[in-house]
Amino acid sequence: MIQLILQQGVSKELVNFPHILEFAYRKNSTIQLNSFSTTVTGCICLYYILDGKFNWMIDSQSYTLFPGDCTIVLPGQSIGGESNVLNIGTLYWIKIAVDEGGKLLMGKWSGLNKNEKLSVNQILIVNKGQLVLKLKEAHILMQNLQAELRNEEVGFFTRVNQLLDELFILISRQLIRQHNSRRDFPQAFLKLEQTLRKDLEHQWTVEEMAALTGMGTTAFTEKVKNYSGFSPLNYLINIRITEALKLLKRGEVNVTDIALNTGFYSSQHFATTFKRFTGYTPSEFRKNNRSKS
Amino acid sequence: MDCIITIELGTNAARVFAFDLSGNVIAFAKGHYPTFHERHDQSEQDPDQMFITMLYVLKNLLNDKVYPKKYVVSCICFSASMHSLLAVDKDGVPLGNSITWSDNRGKKEASDLKDTQLGKEIYSATGTPVHPMSSLIKIAWMKNNQQEKFSRTSKFMPIKSYIIQQLTGACVIDHSIASATGLMNIRNLAWDTTALDFAGITAEKLPDLVPVFYSGIALKKEYRKALKMPPSVKILVGSSDGCLATLGAGVWQNGKATITIEDSGAFRVIGKEIIDDPKQQIFNYVLTEKYFVSGGPTSNGGVIFEWFTKQFGDFKNAFDIDHAMDALIREASEVQVGSDGLLFLPYLHGERAPIWNPNARGCYFGVNIRHERKHFIRATIEGILFEMYSIGKTLEKHRQIDSLSINGSFASIPLCTQIIADVFNKPVSTLSHGDSIGVGAFLLSATEMGMFPGLEEASQMVKMHQTYLPNKGDHDIYAQYFRVFENLIAKIGVEFDEISNLQERYGG
Repeated sequence: MIQLILQQGVSKELVNFPHILEFAYRKNSTIQLNSFSTTVTGCICLYYILDGKFNWMIDSQSYTLFPGDCTIVLPGQSIGGESNVLNIGTLYWIKIAVDEGGKLLMGKWSGLNKNEKLSVNQILIVNKGQLVLKLKEAHILMQNLQAELRNEEVGFFTRVNQLLDELFILISRQLIRQHNSRRDFPQAFLKLEQTLRKDLEHQWTVEEMAALTGMGTTAFTEKVKNYSGFSPLNYLINIRITEALKLLKRGEVNVTDIALNTGFYSSQHFATTFKRFTGYTPSEFRKNNRSKS
Repeated sequence: MDCIITIELGTNAARVFAFDLSGNVIAFAKGHYPTFHERHDQSEQDPDQMFITMLYVLKNLLNDKVYPKKYVVSCICFSASMHSLLAVDKDGVPLGNSITWSDNRGKKEASDLKDTQLGKEIYSATGTPVHPMSSLIKIAWMKNNQQEKFSRTSKFMPIKSYIIQQLTGACVIDHSIASATGLMNIRNLAWDTTALDFAGITAEKLPDLVPVFYSGIALKKEYRKALKMPPSVKILVGSSDGCLATLGAGVWQNGKATITIEDSGAFRVIGKEIIDDPKQQIFNYVLTEKYFVSGGPTSNGGVIFEWFTKQFGDFKNAFDIDHAMDALIREASEVQVGSDGLLFLPYLHGERAPIWNPNARGCYFGVNIRHERKHFIRATIEGILFEMYSIGKTLEKHRQIDSLSINGSFASIPLCTQIIADVFNKPVSTLSHGDSIGVGAFLLSATEMGMFPGLEEASQMVKMHQTYLPNKGDHDIYAQYFRVFENLIAKIGVEFDEISNLQERYGG
């Protein structure tokens, strides 16, 4: 296959796909200075290695990528070759724009529904320290993308976006598989709990929580109930109240901010939930339990 | 109708039972809380999460299962796992998390003290083996490594005292839990000044000591209302999980002992005498002023079989470990007694009794070319139970033991129960009630309420379910393998320290 580098604003093939900033199939046969310097990306970059061995710095860590490896770099992360050089070999890459100000990584082009987009988002963000995946299945998707973009046969517009969706789904599932043993539920649940605690403000849904453990919602809900004694959402409320209780004791943050920081819709919602749990309103509780030191 | 609520603050979960006054279970619920391991030797839990979880479980149980049946709560009795330690400031606010029994950060403080004259005196006075699990060592470690936190601490308390303080305002610790801190003199039931000196604290830094029957505390009005409890509800401070599991296993009479194996395990007896063991292998915890629970704990129980299953089991569905374990057990039962000569030292978590060596590590020994996976499965199970046998043997030097009762999910697997009977060559009974800790707490409450003249009479009410008899021929085979097991452990000396140090250096 011949090399192909498509760029938004330059290549007519991308006119219909404003979200695809770049698509490339590249055979690199010489080493050139500054051919791949480290830059912080403003979009999502996906690389898939076909041939050769690539030494890259991704988010200040060095990685060696081999054929079959795929790496995903999110906006704000950096990537470049070691010594700013692109090694000899063959690879695909694709760069996808994220919506201006949009919270979701996957824009309007995607056919995923809102909950699915949220889940993919969570999985990518939670696992952004784990950048390199073994993902041979991505090869065929990249090949098909290339063919659709070049040939523009009937239905190509839909097919290209479908292939991108497939790529994101594949990567999300692989991230979960590669970083969860799927044998050790207590460990997966502990990881989930730590993720929840880091972002209690977020309005977590059961779908998102289930996705982070790589399970379907029904199986996930049943497993959590069995293991913890609580439904997933009640377990989450439990953590929210625990965190709120700690903040109330510490006495630095005001009650409204505590409510919002710990994921309640309003201070009213917080006050009723807290009272239902403890018998105290948050301010009564604070009066009785605050640390003065 | 009156009912009794028992609340157990266990290692992984709060478990709440409602009993009617005849001891039948009306309702049960549990709520999990996590253990955090920021470093490999660190093991902590969030005290406020434990409190909220306990409260949530209790409330749901009352509203969903107890009140609809028109029961009125007459008594709440507490139990908790031993050896937890929480530091709080002068306003009672936690300084960080609660440190659990399995935290090993005080390894150096413990090994420096253990074999000294002082260490021997402290063990003999407090009944608690010198080990990183004890509050004695944890506080000494904090003094040496977290000076700022140490000096800001107004009270050091176990998680149970913290939870009771949240609910009632009182800062108390029962004799059972206190006898597992390594700080209380088990003969006069007062804080031991020699131990306190070593830890670097005074008695004011600890909660007030009270008997397990103490009920001079009351729920704060807000919690009583939120839980819809009558003003008459009695709050019984209760005991520790270990002591109550022994009481709930009905092993009061001479000649009886109980084996508990959940994730970890223990071999225990009850008696009026303290076993003062020159080798410091045996703990003596206070059940009441007159009775002591003596025994030895292993850190390597069902958790080791779980480890094996996760690594080598067949998972049909994601996370379905129960199915995978059942399949392994079936495979193990096809293998002959003694696993055709494959032995396993189960020390994946280091070990407490009987060798008390945090640096001990696991080992498969005697592997030959004919051994298959199924031999490794059975050897793993036999190794865990051989370890329990070696603890039992240290107790048998001091007490005559004729029969055993067992509890805990691992020991109750029929294959395991039969192996225990064969290895010990003693009849082994399973209990008709699955949760001995809850039953123990019920018996304690019922005795306090005057339904039994004493705990001894109360313990008679525990019913055995089924008895497994030993097979003499199998015992003879196990006995021969056990000799090799025992000698092997005795021969590995400094190598345990060396491999553990290398693992710390290179193992990440």
